[in-house]
Amino acid sequence: MQFEKEVEILASREKVWNFIWDVDRFIACVPGCKEAKTIEAGKLYSATMVEKVGPFRVEFPTTIEVLERDELTRIRAQASGADNKIGSRMKLSLDVNLRQDGEKTVLGFIAGVDILGKLAALGHGIIKRKAEQVLDEFAHAVKQRLEGES
Amino acid sequence: MLRRFRMEEPESVKDVSELLGQYGESAKVYAGGTELLLAMKEGLVQYERLINVKNIRGLNDVTSENGSIHIGALCTHHQLETSPLLHENLPALVKLEQNVANVRVRQVGTLGGNLCFAEPHADPGTLLMALGAKMVAEKSTSKREIPAEAFFVDAYETSIEADEVLTEIRVPVPDSKSGVAYLKFGYLERPSVGVAIALRLNGGGKSIHDATIAVGCAGPAPKRVLEAEELIKGTSIDEAGAKILKAGEIAGHAADAISDLHGSQEYKEHIVGVLLKRAFQNALSQC
Repeated sequence: MQFEKEVEILASREKVWNFIWDVDRFIACVPGCKEAKTIEAGKLYSATMVEKVGPFRVEFPTTIEVLERDELTRIRAQASGADNKIGSRMKLSLDVNLRQDGEKTVLGFIAGVDILGKLAALGHGIIKRKAEQVLDEFAHAVKQRLEGES
Repeated sequence: MLRRFRMEEPESVKDVSELLGQYGESAKVYAGGTELLLAMKEGLVQYERLINVKNIRGLNDVTSENGSIHIGALCTHHQLETSPLLHENLPALVKLEQNVANVRVRQVGTLGGNLCFAEPHADPGTLLMALGAKMVAEKSTSKREIPAEAFFVDAYETSIEADEVLTEIRVPVPDSKSGVAYLKFGYLERPSVGVAIALRLNGGGKSIHDATIAVGCAGPAPKRVLEAEELIKGTSIDEAGAKILKAGEIAGHAADAISDLHGSQEYKEHIVGVLLKRAFQNALSQC
């Protein structure tokens, strides 16, 4: 499943960039994300993703690896996690882009998400819809937080 | 494999509500189990306690009161497909129930369980919405009616509160100038698309006095399509017949169709239009 999202933030590119690398503040904007830890600054992180669709609850302890980092411009990362209770795995590839547009910064995401195992029984469409909701909420929270601080 | 759980056997709705309040998300109401136990066996959900409501008296009757049919939430699909009262008053619901899943599911699966589990590819919610049904939700201290369109929130989510129990479904009986149809399409037991329409003609029988249209299965939850209804309401039968294709297009878009193994979004939207046209003709032939 591929997702693309862009959000315009009334803040400088430096401010948005610094925000992304401030793990605690950044993670607070990701719905269902908890227990974020820095394993190796700028390279390796861990977090637990918790999501619910009706009665179905998944909890993915996730490792996030930063693969590429172009200062103020781009981050490429990958993440993977497994919920052993329900026998499902999640793989994520993430491309984050920043570009200045006047006083605004356009923060763009391209995410590839694969859900494997029993969770897939819920149906591709339902999972995709949930992932879109999470991405929308995340983009909204980032914008609100950064613009609120301006 | 089904993991160990404790089965609670309450004797009243009040007791069920209290147990739900006490155990929260670690407990779940067990009505028929045809969906719930499958999900539990697959390990997709785990509950420490199941609250068996099947022994509570008075929740599996079909009665008629003040122009409405009251269906106990614990009525099985089989009970509904063979109910003389439903045959006489709500034949469209009988036809739907005759085609729910398979004979094993119909024998033990309950209407209340089906509605509360809110599996997106389920039939009854869509027709009940077109019929203007209301769901009765009870808890220890209160009782309320929820219109069908407010009952379904999202895939697997309803507006039933954590300590509420669905006890009854109240369906107004359509009058003699009315026609009701539910049509579905799917490859296997679960439908890809379901469309329901309830029509009422005016006194002279020449124009559409009222129309209710609902679509289900294509998207995350059944949905009423007011815009499509407005298009044919108040028009002559011939005009409505000409406008039903446009209404189908509107309903297709409104269905919030999701691409999945049952079909692509575009395909489902198209099927909604095809089914609405046929359902309209079917309903009209009954008026």
